[in-house]
Amino acid sequence: MRGTPVRGLIPLVVLLVLWEVLGDPASPYFPPPSTWVDGVSPLVESDRLLPAIGDTSLTFVLGLFIATVLGSLVGTLVGASRPVDRALSPSLEFLRALPAASLVPVAALVLGYTAQMKLVVVVLPAMWPILLTCRSARRSLSPVLLDTPRTLGLSGWDRMTKVLTPALLPAVLLGVRVAAPLALIITLLVEIVTRVNGLGAALGAAQSSFLSAQVYGLLTIAGVLGFVVNWVVTRAETAVSRRMRGTT
Amino acid sequence: MISCDDLSVTLPGANGPVNILSGVHLRVAKGEFVSVLGTSGSGKTTLLRVLGGLQSATGGRITCDGVDIAGPPDGVVTVFQDYAHSLLPWRTVRRNVALGIEKLDKTERDSRVDEALAMVGLSERDGEYPWRLSGGMQQRVQIARALAMRPRVLLMDEPFGALDAMTKASLQDQLQQVAELTGTTVVFVTHDVEEAVYLSDRLVVLSGSPANIGLSLDVPLPRPRDQIATKERADYLELRHEVYAALGHKVGERASG
Repeated sequence: MRGTPVRGLIPLVVLLVLWEVLGDPASPYFPPPSTWVDGVSPLVESDRLLPAIGDTSLTFVLGLFIATVLGSLVGTLVGASRPVDRALSPSLEFLRALPAASLVPVAALVLGYTAQMKLVVVVLPAMWPILLTCRSARRSLSPVLLDTPRTLGLSGWDRMTKVLTPALLPAVLLGVRVAAPLALIITLLVEIVTRVNGLGAALGAAQSSFLSAQVYGLLTIAGVLGFVVNWVVTRAETAVSRRMRGTT
Repeated sequence: MISCDDLSVTLPGANGPVNILSGVHLRVAKGEFVSVLGTSGSGKTTLLRVLGGLQSATGGRITCDGVDIAGPPDGVVTVFQDYAHSLLPWRTVRRNVALGIEKLDKTERDSRVDEALAMVGLSERDGEYPWRLSGGMQQRVQIARALAMRPRVLLMDEPFGALDAMTKASLQDQLQQVAELTGTTVVFVTHDVEEAVYLSDRLVVLSGSPANIGLSLDVPLPRPRDQIATKERADYLELRHEVYAALGHKVGERASG
């Protein structure tokens, strides 16, 4: 995998260069890349860009964190017991099928246009991948692995921290790997729709004021943010699952 | 040491509850090596799980040194057939062996781990991860982990069932030595008749459905036993024959006619 990301970016670079060379600087729809920096600079000068990135990152990180905690706890509990699984599965399936965007009006109704509302809308959909991977990992956990710490006289706490948690960690991280880009998309989406702070709100505002260069500039920043997030979680997931599953 | 009276176990099955064991009486004396034989699905593993406190009985009384067993008792350690799932792949051999004794201080823990690894001949491999080792070595790690607990009773659930014949023989001899050296009581579940006769002081056969103990047989072969010399003795062959007959093999019938 090493080396390929750079080479894989060549088409994108070529596209941007062509755009720059052939594009019309006055175009209201497709301003060439060189104008993007100028487009974004008013936001930098008025000290609005960094707080926007900060807001988005905070919602994203906090949302993903809460989703991870909730998803892995609920997933583990549901996966541990067949009756609970059977009782909850239909409801879980229904909630999972609910599109993230449709949560926005309800959340806004209940919590208003606040940071908490953003968090709720991010947490719910981001929780599912983690919940599902944890559920199936817990379900397929070998009974021998669960009996082992018991026969060795480990306390309930030690069984959880020394055996269960490390055994489920690769599944949690696999879920996080899927959930992270999702959480970022939804963070931006909520911000665009509700205009409550962040990069998404800036994007929406730029769009409605026809600042097309600024729209593209913000889009690039959002893209870089997504790329970094994806890279970090993928690396973390690969490293941990290699260590925990004991392969290679 | 271990005693069960009128033990019965009923487990939930796909088509309602299944009565696995019923009316099992078993006494295992201190330092004794007892094998539990039975065909697959005869309830051997269930019996062992009950003795190890991993499964609760539905009826009867079961005690270890006079104390009722409810949950895994101190000093009673189970060794599972499925070593690959029992060892933690994220821990080295040394840390796997230490899993049950991490409450002890470091010097005591280290010396116990060293001692246990030496007993199974794995002192050199303590820094490796278990999945790097062969199946036989992995099972030795699991046995070392149990030995590091200094158990009074070792419960072994077909521990050598997944190993090839050569490895099996060498582990049988190693187990024999360790049991003798430490004076540990061993309850050994297996479906291998030769193995049961070769290792045991006494063996019991589980049969019927629900199962109970159909045959209990003393094995008065002299110790230490030897894979070749012991297995050539007339009394070994006779015992073996008797057990096969109890398990329902028609050896005698075919020979006579």
